[in-house]
Amino acid sequence: MTRLAIAINQERCIGCHTCATACKMQNNVPDGMLWNRVLTEGSDVVDGAQGEYPNLSRSYLPVACQHCDNAACQRVCPTGATYKDDKGRIEIDYNKCIGCRMCMAACPYNARVFNWNEPARITGANYGDSRVPERHKGVMEKCTLCKERTDNGEEPMCVRCCPARARVYGDLDDPESKISKLLRQNNTRHLLEDMGTKPKVFYLN
Amino acid sequence: MTFSKRGKVALVICAVLAVAAFCCWVFQLMNGLGVTGMNNSTSWGSYIMMFMFMVGLSAGGLIVASSASVFHIEKYERVAIPAIICSLVCICLAGAFVLIDLGGIARIWRMITGPNPMSPLVWDMCVITCYLVINIIDLRFLVTGNKRGVEILSRIALPTAILVHSVTAWIFGLQVSREGWHSAIMAPIFVASACDSGLALLLVSLIGLQKAKLFDVGDKLIANLAGLLATFVAVDAFFIGCELLTTAYAGTDMGSFVLGQMFGGATAPFFWFEMICGLLIPFCILVFAKNRKRKGIVLLSSILIICGVLCKRAWLLFTSFLMPNVYGAAGITLGTKTAQMDVTQMWTLMGTYAPTGVEIVIIIGALAAGFAIWMVLSKAFLPAYEPAVED
Repeated sequence: MTRLAIAINQERCIGCHTCATACKMQNNVPDGMLWNRVLTEGSDVVDGAQGEYPNLSRSYLPVACQHCDNAACQRVCPTGATYKDDKGRIEIDYNKCIGCRMCMAACPYNARVFNWNEPARITGANYGDSRVPERHKGVMEKCTLCKERTDNGEEPMCVRCCPARARVYGDLDDPESKISKLLRQNNTRHLLEDMGTKPKVFYLN
Repeated sequence: MTFSKRGKVALVICAVLAVAAFCCWVFQLMNGLGVTGMNNSTSWGSYIMMFMFMVGLSAGGLIVASSASVFHIEKYERVAIPAIICSLVCICLAGAFVLIDLGGIARIWRMITGPNPMSPLVWDMCVITCYLVINIIDLRFLVTGNKRGVEILSRIALPTAILVHSVTAWIFGLQVSREGWHSAIMAPIFVASACDSGLALLLVSLIGLQKAKLFDVGDKLIANLAGLLATFVAVDAFFIGCELLTTAYAGTDMGSFVLGQMFGGATAPFFWFEMICGLLIPFCILVFAKNRKRKGIVLLSSILIICGVLCKRAWLLFTSFLMPNVYGAAGITLGTKTAQMDVTQMWTLMGTYAPTGVEIVIIIGALAAGFAIWMVLSKAFLPAYEPAVED
């Protein structure tokens, strides 16, 4: 079996949003939405700080689909449009999505975005990887773990483009993979661990 | 079938509203759900609120009607036909609101060809279909006077009516992601509010039919049903109390936030309206036998209860969309038309939602269509008018 995963080292993340932009570019994500967001943790303003002066801290939290092993979104999807594939990724079959948005209510991470309108792009044309399927109004979309790239042995674009090398990608079921070694040697956490979703995105800090 | 002059005027007004709603729906189909106030932070809006509300109104009526037969409460059997008519209209509206809410209705056949048996929406589709069929057969049996048929069917109808509302509750109650929904008592709460709002709607329709000299169940039965209504209101309030205490007691961040919003935040007007006008006042009125004999008072209490339950749907649904579980700037990307046009309007820290004109016209028009169908069905299937004999 293959279980593809990403580990994010928050100590290394500099909050540059390159991963968010790279993802948007790669996947032809329409205007007004992102598959991958970089949150400034515990703050109401971007690049803000936590705590009280002079005892301040600042950290960034990149959030996209967590590709949960126990995925709440997959369970509630009435048509099976959201499914877990043989590589452990949570994917959406756009032809099956009826736009009920049940998965959006079920996802604890707000990872999903919906095409409320016919998607618009400031470029006036599609961009990014031509292998990525087009989406139309009325369907859900979200991080696919760069399905088109990872199917061909390439890294997801967010991992590829991270200038701080904060992101590590690999197969959890291969004990020799870089991510497996990293997880063995470090303390990691999941987002919202108590919800029991068993994400395959790990955070090191 | 002939309607009085007032009836005809009402039908014409309903038809106009329904046509307006239909045009808005076509507009929504052409432009996408972006014409509503929904966005990536609040993925369900007033359509789903109306869906929950209508399922409740429907289940309540049928629960009372079929209990009459199952538990041999003969005096309630007289209200069976008006109750079934209310129930039938409401369940059709409930189904309509789900369909209106779909973003990809052209692919709805996927629900049949590849249903995911784990999805509460699939359960809901099955149960609502069964329920609709039972309603239609039951109405037929009642009108043709097939007593044996009604008796047998009622034994299936009662659990189905309870199930239809439980399944609706599970759409919300099974979601671990939403603090305000994720609760085992969600189904009992929904059944309780179905009983009180459904019975209140039945009382409103009975009083209306009596006024219009179409059907008379007698003042005594109305007073009796009003007493039952007071009990349902008390049960509903008790369940809500249990839920609030459980949420409050642990003092978790999310629990405190949800309660804070309900007590004094964005959903507070709905919460307090339900608590005071939807539960407390009607209960205090209906608990006294003297008040239950005054039809005006019963009508007012029933309307308050219906409005209260509508408000409950609002606070129940929207409070849980307000706070993202993973909080941090800049927040969630909205994905709306405004977000597409203006990058500075793309983000929201907290859940945000306000219904648009399109949503309001569609809801009013759908309700008007429902009212018109109710008028026609009442005219067609209610037995000939005879004043009730009071003993």
